[in-house]
Amino acid sequence: MQRWTTILFLTGLSIVLFAIITPLVLGQSPMLVGKLINASAVNDTGAANLVTAVVLAYRGLDTLGELAILFTAATAIGIILGTTDKTQTTSSPTAGFIVATAAKVLFPLLLVFALYIILHGHLTPGGGFQGGAVLAAAFFLLTLADSGNNIKHKVTQVIEALAGTAFIVLGLVSFALQGVFLQPWLDKGELGSLFSAGSLPLLYLALGLKVGAELANLLSSLANVEK
Amino acid sequence: MQDSLILLVVLPLLLAFLLPVIARYLGNLSGLTGSLLLLFNILLLANAWNSVGYSPKVILLGGFAAPLGIVFYIDKLNMLFAILTTIIALLLWPCRTHNTDVREYVLWLLLLAGCYGVILSGDLFNIYVFYELLAVASYGLVTLPATGASYIAGFRYLMISALGSAFALLGIALIYSFTGSVNIAHLAQIIPDHLHHIWGYSAALLLIIGFGVKAELFPVNFWVAEVYSHADKRVTALLAGVVSKIAVLIILRFIILLFPWQDIFNFLLLLGIIGVIVGEFAAFYAQDLLRLLAFSSIAQSGLVIIAFACATEAGIMAGIALAIHHLLLKPALFLLASHCDRSINDLAGLAKSSPWASALFVILALSLLGVPPLPGFWAKLLLLQSLMAEQYLLLLVLVLLATIVEAAYLFRLFMLFYQRQEMPEQKRITIQGQELYPVITLSGILLLGLFFLPLFMDSLREIAMQTSNIEAYINTVLGKVQHIGEGNI
Repeated sequence: MQRWTTILFLTGLSIVLFAIITPLVLGQSPMLVGKLINASAVNDTGAANLVTAVVLAYRGLDTLGELAILFTAATAIGIILGTTDKTQTTSSPTAGFIVATAAKVLFPLLLVFALYIILHGHLTPGGGFQGGAVLAAAFFLLTLADSGNNIKHKVTQVIEALAGTAFIVLGLVSFALQGVFLQPWLDKGELGSLFSAGSLPLLYLALGLKVGAELANLLSSLANVEK
Repeated sequence: MQDSLILLVVLPLLLAFLLPVIARYLGNLSGLTGSLLLLFNILLLANAWNSVGYSPKVILLGGFAAPLGIVFYIDKLNMLFAILTTIIALLLWPCRTHNTDVREYVLWLLLLAGCYGVILSGDLFNIYVFYELLAVASYGLVTLPATGASYIAGFRYLMISALGSAFALLGIALIYSFTGSVNIAHLAQIIPDHLHHIWGYSAALLLIIGFGVKAELFPVNFWVAEVYSHADKRVTALLAGVVSKIAVLIILRFIILLFPWQDIFNFLLLLGIIGVIVGEFAAFYAQDLLRLLAFSSIAQSGLVIIAFACATEAGIMAGIALAIHHLLLKPALFLLASHCDRSINDLAGLAKSSPWASALFVILALSLLGVPPLPGFWAKLLLLQSLMAEQYLLLLVLVLLATIVEAAYLFRLFMLFYQRQEMPEQKRITIQGQELYPVITLSGILLLGLFFLPLFMDSLREIAMQTSNIEAYINTVLGKVQHIGEGNI
């Protein structure tokens, strides 16, 4: 009975949502703010990638909020999984010689790639969230290939705390200098060069490290529970 | 001066990020840092309260003017809620001397940052982000007792809350696709006239249902009883007292600024009155005290919604009064009740074994019911007056009938308390120092507030006037000349 009412409810809901969404014409929205941002973003921030200008400058507080949400989720999961920091028993099998070796070869390449994505966030598509995910994947790979390579929980925790602090401190510095939180500061530089867009690349670096350390932390607490 | 109010949101986040590392060195003292931070926030707010005065202020984030960047809107109503949130949080702060998990403090700080962000933000998407922050933090906090029941309650809460968030996000997406903006002042110029059709209504419903999950609004409130009876008592007190009122505050802003249409008001009146009736009847049939309080909380939220949906100054004033009353009173009641999570019938003769706790409970519950001259009476009177003024006579009768049901179950409870029956020693409610001072402080604020009633009424009237002034909101945020691209729609 309950199952049928659930199905009925979901069907009704999807029909309603479908009826709301389908008549909308794609790509014809007014874009009031979007047009204004397109016109002024390069001057305001000096970032060649306008998405970054929006993410870090115009809506920097949203990004800080999203960073905090990820951190909250990781903390809550940590509470639920508990802190069973058991002494590692190396009895769990490795993934085999080929995978373990390949992981070791890929690891530095992944690190470089992640840093590239993070540091070029203000120039090309990518940035802190994406780069941070790749960064975490590099450590995931090592752990998955050989469970002996466990992520040092204490180290990632410090990196995570410092990176999160750096993001906020960068905002607070602009608050101290100009009285506005998270205002882009530092020289804007030449559009399109690596050292441009003022404080935005620094923000992305902090963001990337935080996301990477966060996800690595999450994996290590999951791995501890599995055993 | 008011620019520094951004620190309300930023400092809890900063401390939350740092605390897992700090705690390694500070150990058990790390809980104190949170209390200190809250004290600092109170100073900050007290300092800004006077400088805000009667004209609202705006904080630009990132230094970009209104529709481009995110703004914080600072007026008396927002400040009032921020102050009350800080006071309640300080009283409920889980400062323990032993057996502490630092992550509990971290989640509290993140929840508070979310609360401040939702209260102060003047940007639709930014409100959503901070609403998510407080939602995710509360999922974690609900599961803190680490019992099976709390995990199940937390999971149900997560599911319904995630559905609500998805609805809210869809509503925001709809609005954005029609207007190209998420700034509330900017939208207040556009939506009421240009979106007065099926999509405007859809967006309004999606947003109201989405934010209604935390506001304990009727169709999406079935998580309430389960979560409140199984979560940690302080978390319950915070969710029932503060978080639900903040969600109601957001709904008020929406219906005043974005969707000032009579159909939406009627819809909310309907949801509100159903919430009141369902809540009171469920409380009447509830078998344990925590559930009873949870259901009565649903009913009280319904009353606030009804008051706000009158959409007149008198209605807003009544709603704010009811919200503040419930915000101060419910945490105290939940803390008092937290030791008797068992059947109501086991409470017989409680007054003999713990006379002070019972007496305090009775006084607070009478105020909840609205017995003169307790504060709850004046709040409910304001509601009835505003319903009279709007000629909602049927609603008036239904609210009074619901109050009779409320009186029935509360007096049944009092009779049980004062029954002549010996109580086994282990069933006593003992209020230890940890709970004593929040309960005493909250009841003290409520009862002393009675002496300042005329003063309080005057400032409430001012706040309601300021809140219903749409022109002032738009002009403060956007400046007086800008009508950006309105012709394009």
